[in-house]
Amino acid sequence: MGNDRLLNFAIKYGFLILLAGMVVYFGLAAPGFASPRSAVFVLQSVAITGILALGVTCTLVVGGFDLSIGAVATSALMLSAYAMVVLEMSAGVAIGLCLLMGAAVGLVNGLLIVKFRVPDLLATLGMMFLLIGLQRIPTQGNSIATGMALPDGSTAEGVFSSTFLWLGRHRLDLVIDNLVPLPVVIFLLIALGIWLFLGFTRQGRLMYAIGSNERAAGLVGTPVNRYKIAAYMISGVMASIGGMLLAARLGRGDIASGTNLLLDSVAAALIGFAVLGAARPNAFGTATGALFVGILLQGLTMMNAPYYTQDFVKGVVLVAALVFTFYLSSRRGTGRS
Amino acid sequence: MLRRHLLKATAATALVLGAGLPAAAQDMPAPFDNPGDVTIALVRYLSTGDFFQSYLSGVEQQAEALGVDLRVLDSRQDAALQADMVDQAIALGVDGIIIQHGLTESMQAAAQRAVDAGIKVVAFDVDVENDAIPQVEQSDYLLAKLALDQAIEDHGTEFTAGYVYVPGIAPLDRRDAAWQEVKEANPGITEAAQFGTLDNPIANSVANQARSVLQANPNITVMFAPYDEFAKGVKIAVDEAGLSQDIDIYSADVSTADIAAMREPDSAWVATVATNPSVVGEVSVRTLAMMLAGEDPGDSVIVPPTLITQDFLNENDVSNMEELGAKMPQFQHADVSTPDWIPLPQR
Repeated sequence: MGNDRLLNFAIKYGFLILLAGMVVYFGLAAPGFASPRSAVFVLQSVAITGILALGVTCTLVVGGFDLSIGAVATSALMLSAYAMVVLEMSAGVAIGLCLLMGAAVGLVNGLLIVKFRVPDLLATLGMMFLLIGLQRIPTQGNSIATGMALPDGSTAEGVFSSTFLWLGRHRLDLVIDNLVPLPVVIFLLIALGIWLFLGFTRQGRLMYAIGSNERAAGLVGTPVNRYKIAAYMISGVMASIGGMLLAARLGRGDIASGTNLLLDSVAAALIGFAVLGAARPNAFGTATGALFVGILLQGLTMMNAPYYTQDFVKGVVLVAALVFTFYLSSRRGTGRS
Repeated sequence: MLRRHLLKATAATALVLGAGLPAAAQDMPAPFDNPGDVTIALVRYLSTGDFFQSYLSGVEQQAEALGVDLRVLDSRQDAALQADMVDQAIALGVDGIIIQHGLTESMQAAAQRAVDAGIKVVAFDVDVENDAIPQVEQSDYLLAKLALDQAIEDHGTEFTAGYVYVPGIAPLDRRDAAWQEVKEANPGITEAAQFGTLDNPIANSVANQARSVLQANPNITVMFAPYDEFAKGVKIAVDEAGLSQDIDIYSADVSTADIAAMREPDSAWVATVATNPSVVGEVSVRTLAMMLAGEDPGDSVIVPPTLITQDFLNENDVSNMEELGAKMPQFQHADVSTPDWIPLPQR
């Protein structure tokens, strides 16, 4: 009986205790780690992958998966740069275009999966390759920056609008002046929004129902296909928001495949399964998972750990989290019955 | 702007139509007396990114100036495919091959097969261990050395530095050699932290790391980031930490976007050293042309780098690569592999 309780406690709070322990350890071992600035740095480094991870969470909830988010993010990065630098559009139009692009990609992903019956991994994998290629066609593989030569021989005269850069670079005053960067605020708002949506609305609960038993959900009258498509559209829009924040931070349209964005955000979402013993995708877990990886990497970098240890550590955390989720939770399940 | 281009285009056309081509074709040694019949192949390993795009445009321009037929085979970082592509080029019956990057292990045998088939081969930035194949190189060592010399000129021989480096990447390893040497020679220079990553987007990942490093080591005054993606990341971190007055970034490589970043008000990125990739492309083609004409370009053809400082960019109001070439002639053209008979690309 005592054992059971201990196990339940470990499953529920183990991950959060580990997180707290890590913060204390780095605070003691790395000078400068335990400061408000450092905390904000961590948040900023996870904001973009965190936003992408929240999008993936929505597709995981309906029992799907979205491999195209990294590519959608870099496409949004290129699209926003192209709209402003080459086509000389305003920030508002560029943002609108990116959001539209994200939603459209999500819609196509969703249609491929529900109408054309392509398995989710394969459909979004195809979309990933398609986008990685597509985003390079307008500039023939070059990065976009003011003053670049265009194919017709003229040079690009447009600039990143200051409103747009403000999105990625502005800092709000909180206790210390210029402390909290805007992307962090956007990340936290989105996390809160997705958490409320998935956990406390009828639509969110139906999405969980579809994820756990699609047939049953359909039989009680849920429009399963529409919800699935909606989940991919949310994922696409989140990824395009992440891409725009990335563009605003970099201030140029850098070509990149976004593979690492994909892997990091998927890792965050999967680590999220283990938080509070949920054993299923959830927004709070995803945000915590992203934070966990961020704190770990910040601490390691401050202690001068070489770059290859970082991937190793990410892997260890992910494997540990998956063990938490699948092994311990199943033992808890058998213990009860 | 447009008018200037039109003028240039008109001038170029006049040259080509008028004296340019026919005269050059007569003066050129065989097989270039009939340049349309000469086919060369560019077999690429790396192609994504500004550097490689620019390299390709250099190759294309010089091939056009010579009037030869250029085939581009792009293996997109697939070492086995790149070796197959050399065999494809042999089967196509090309006269010359430029191997651009690749792995020694996979390319050595393929390059030998091409030489055995009587094809002239030039290698850029890859050692194929073959005496019949000259190497075209940008000197990565000199690239780093020039940047560090500038850092020492600005900061003296005593400063605390942060260093961005990822081991195991050949050009970065060669740049690292210069850093190790400078540190050895100047005990007053301390390396407070070494970091770096190639996770893409590279600038974003490096920015995250650099911020932690700056937080942990507030005494850093010099950042040595010998690759422009690294420098971009460091600059983002320095800006975010509000330290752009206190830290100077020294880097290598240059692009239009880099020029913009260096010229931002109060930019911490004070100097970079670069070889113009399109010039390297031109030199590769000229070296191959010399071999086809039976001349000896030497075993190793090195394209020298140029120091580009923020002050120079500001004084001359340079805003893109084209203007940089115009204001800095040594950047636009390298006097390497230039026999009189080879026409240079129009500028």
